[in-house]
Amino acid sequence: MDTEIQNTFRALADSTRRDILMHLSAKEMTIAEVSAHFDMTRAAVKKHLVILEEGQLISARRIGRETLNKLEPEGLKTAFSWISYFSEFWNVKLQNLQSAIEEEGKSKND
Amino acid sequence: MTDITITKTAFFQASRETVWSFLTTKEKLGKWFHPAENDLVEGEPYSLIGTANDGAKMKICWGTVLQMNFPEKLVWSFTVNALEGVMTTVSWDLEEVNGGTKLTLTHSGLDASGSGLELITMLDAGWDMHLGKLRDANK
Repeated sequence: MDTEIQNTFRALADSTRRDILMHLSAKEMTIAEVSAHFDMTRAAVKKHLVILEEGQLISARRIGRETLNKLEPEGLKTAFSWISYFSEFWNVKLQNLQSAIEEEGKSKND
Repeated sequence: MTDITITKTAFFQASRETVWSFLTTKEKLGKWFHPAENDLVEGEPYSLIGTANDGAKMKICWGTVLQMNFPEKLVWSFTVNALEGVMTTVSWDLEEVNGGTKLTLTHSGLDASGSGLELITMLDAGWDMHLGKLRDANK
């Protein structure tokens, strides 16, 4: 399973994180600046930012005591490509199918 | 429009007839994909049904069963919401290999310029769930 694509999809599969991306598309922001747009604690925002970074959708760089978060549009390209979406989609389905068939085999042998 | 084809193979320690049943009967489709409204019938439309976040039933994937050649070949036209009405083609080929079955999936007709926003909407509804199932399956 391609973990990179999986992380990107995971990062995108949440409306708060997509909102964060929209805000970051305007400019680089610190956690405090991102938090100002949401009714959440900084810790909660930080968690979302970590998941976005794992999904390669943003990058973080330290300037003095601040961490600036920046949108990485290249990361979106992978997710927007149909081939990678369906490729991953079918990987998941086929693995589900394999386990479903194995399950049936087991219950027959019981 | 750039035509894209995805090909995948999987092996099963099961007969073609067993694998076929998982591709064509409503309950067994539900064990790995989504339950179908009815068992699949050649020439007839089909729908795979899921449950939305608010509990309502919704069509997830649908199309027409174009070909059923038991137990060798099954062809569906196939679309999902995010494809915005574009019909693609999904073919399943079943070959007997060493007492088991080699299943080849061919998904063709995908347009490379598909809309990203719609894709994300779909992911929101469905992706987490499938990843969860996958994790359970691999435990």
